[in-house]
Amino acid sequence: MEKLVLLIPFLPIMIAIMIGFLHKKEHMPKVAIIFSSMVALLALFGTYYVMSTDKAIDGLGGYLIYNELSAILVPYVAILGLVIRKYSTKYMWDEPGYKRFFILLNFIFSAIYLLVMSNNLIILTIAWQLMSIGLYLLITFNVESKSAIKNGGWTMLVHKLADLLFIIAVILTYKTFGSFDLSILSQKWLALYQSGGSDNAMIYLIGFLFLFAAMMKSAIMPFHLWLPYTSEAPTPVSALMHAGVVNVGGILLNKMAFLLLLTPAVLNVAFVMGLITAISASILMLAVSDIKRSLGYSTVGQMGYMIMEVGLGAFSLAIYHLMVHGIFKASLFLESGSLIHHARKEPSVPKRLSYEIFWEEKPQYNSINMFRIIAFFAIFPVIVFISVKFLLGEDFFHFNVATLIVAFAWLTGTQLFLSFFEVSKANSPKVIFTLISSFIVVLFTYEFVGLALEHFLYGKNGELFYEVATLHISGTMTIIMIMSIMIVGWYFTYRQHFVGVPLGEHKPNKFRWRIYKMLAKEGYISDLYVKYFKIF
Amino acid sequence: MLIDFILLFLLAGVPYYLLLEKIPFIQKDKIFPIAALLVITGMFVSCIFEHKSSMPFIVIAFFASLFSLYKANETNNLHKLTYYILFFNAPLLIMLNTKESILYGASLIIALLGVYLMGRYYVKNYGSANYQSVTGMTLVSPYAGLILTVYFTALALYPPFPNALLFLNGILKSEINTLWYIVVVVIFFGNFLIAVRVMAKTVFGKPNDNVHYIDISPTERVLHLLIVSVLLLLSIIGLQEVIS
Repeated sequence: MEKLVLLIPFLPIMIAIMIGFLHKKEHMPKVAIIFSSMVALLALFGTYYVMSTDKAIDGLGGYLIYNELSAILVPYVAILGLVIRKYSTKYMWDEPGYKRFFILLNFIFSAIYLLVMSNNLIILTIAWQLMSIGLYLLITFNVESKSAIKNGGWTMLVHKLADLLFIIAVILTYKTFGSFDLSILSQKWLALYQSGGSDNAMIYLIGFLFLFAAMMKSAIMPFHLWLPYTSEAPTPVSALMHAGVVNVGGILLNKMAFLLLLTPAVLNVAFVMGLITAISASILMLAVSDIKRSLGYSTVGQMGYMIMEVGLGAFSLAIYHLMVHGIFKASLFLESGSLIHHARKEPSVPKRLSYEIFWEEKPQYNSINMFRIIAFFAIFPVIVFISVKFLLGEDFFHFNVATLIVAFAWLTGTQLFLSFFEVSKANSPKVIFTLISSFIVVLFTYEFVGLALEHFLYGKNGELFYEVATLHISGTMTIIMIMSIMIVGWYFTYRQHFVGVPLGEHKPNKFRWRIYKMLAKEGYISDLYVKYFKIF
Repeated sequence: MLIDFILLFLLAGVPYYLLLEKIPFIQKDKIFPIAALLVITGMFVSCIFEHKSSMPFIVIAFFASLFSLYKANETNNLHKLTYYILFFNAPLLIMLNTKESILYGASLIIALLGVYLMGRYYVKNYGSANYQSVTGMTLVSPYAGLILTVYFTALALYPPFPNALLFLNGILKSEINTLWYIVVVVIFFGNFLIAVRVMAKTVFGKPNDNVHYIDISPTERVLHLLIVSVLLLLSIIGLQEVIS
């Protein structure tokens, strides 16, 4: 009975075929939603089975597995898929190619399920590439848009490069370890680590190839440009891209976690690249003028944090992070569509919950001191969190750098939120309450759920990853580095969005203006591509 | 040595299409069938006579392949494109082991046959196999758009189509050296770039108001369905091969 769960990757294909034969437009979303609900239920059953029996479900010749990682991610993807399909029902109604959209959507979900559930490097390679082609066809869904096709081409180029590195890594893995089976390989890697590791340069090469393939598909700098520039895709596709597709790097690295035990240098590079991405993207997010691109850079920044977490050995935190970020970003994208829809009907922005909390003008507006805001939004929540942890007991007060990263990831997310909603106009206690609550929720969820997740995913082996991550950044160093993101971010947020800041009539400082211009133009990298690389 | 020379010519390692293009009584749309026939003959020859691929011949084929890549990038004609792509893949056909080379060659020829037939459809309905102005097929002639998407996705080396699986199978079972890396990278990206470029100009784009679009006929649909079925059959073989 439980083996039925292994059919999950094939069910969306069946749904796509069924939709292909339908003629009435209104039947298409119904079929998609009913059958994808069944997929979600099947996924939940699989998760229940894995959790209750503590056994993975494997079958189909050992090529697919529903293990702890699948038990977490498959229901997440299935429920996300259900929401996106439901949302697309009305949102895509007037678009030409309604049937094509639902077919492609099911196709890409099939690839994602296959990727998550694969237990064989060949199957993983197929899923890895299937996802790319599915993404390309969805990004270029609006076939008449020149820019969508051009940006789709660039996206594919980066993804194709990732595919190549991945294929070479798979071939080298096979030639070095003699197997494609991930369960066997993981056991081999763990045994090799426990017997003192290996200095074989080939293992490092394989590790780097997998890391760079993951970085490319997760839009880590300098391979990030495809993500902010593909916002022209339909909103449900953007939601899927930011909440699902871009996470595959993190999923891949989790699948390869035991290999990375043997390659501390790869983890160190992951940390550094993640740090650079987190800092740069968080700054660019606030500097670019296009709101969709800003969201794109926000995702790039969050992916930077995710790779940083992997670099620190916090593999399970990366999973936790990608899921929480995915939910946050998908809801942001999906709400944006309905907000625009309502705004077109009414002259004023409709009174949605977010409007009532964040936009409504309050008469008791006072000018706000920037430092007081920083103190309130940044330092106070940290003090609350640490105090609570301390009160819970000294043993519990185990300093964890990964927790800090989650904290600062939350901060950059908050900056993005503030830059959209101009909170200071309201000066509302509700805003402060909501933001601080969200902080407490994020950190405490990580402390209690995230650590449980680590135990569930890796058991006692979870501690090994932290030992291997040899780039021991002290807590102080981490605070200093990530604080810089926060301060620069707050500075931009304050200058751009907080009212009551007198800009004056005099010309701005030339040097500062040039820096801002460079940031707003994303370091001129995209201009360079457009001017000198005319491939598509 | 002699067998290497013969295979270099038969497996499209020498761009003899340059000569064929100059001969007035050979039409452009006849070059692909001639080249495909020679490649198939080459496969038979390599099957019958045992041989080991020789480095200098792969290098010659590789330089010829780069030239074919250039030509493929320059053309807007589907008929010409078919044999340019075939010649572009020649170094791989020479480099791989016999069985893997035959399987990859077969999938390549079948996918290109599909493109060739689409070229004939262009000639019949739009006057020539030139695809430059016949854009936005997906919207106005969805069957033609879908079929072109399938063929070019296969040629761009994406699964679930056999070209990708048999390419992976071939490179997995061949010996890794510096030339292997160069050939694999160039073939992998070259196929992709050609296919994406053509897709952007045929499947995608704004439909041309000056063109009267006609979708493929039911008979042609059956023919293409057969080709796609063969491709999927090869995919199953490819999957079995690569996993074994």
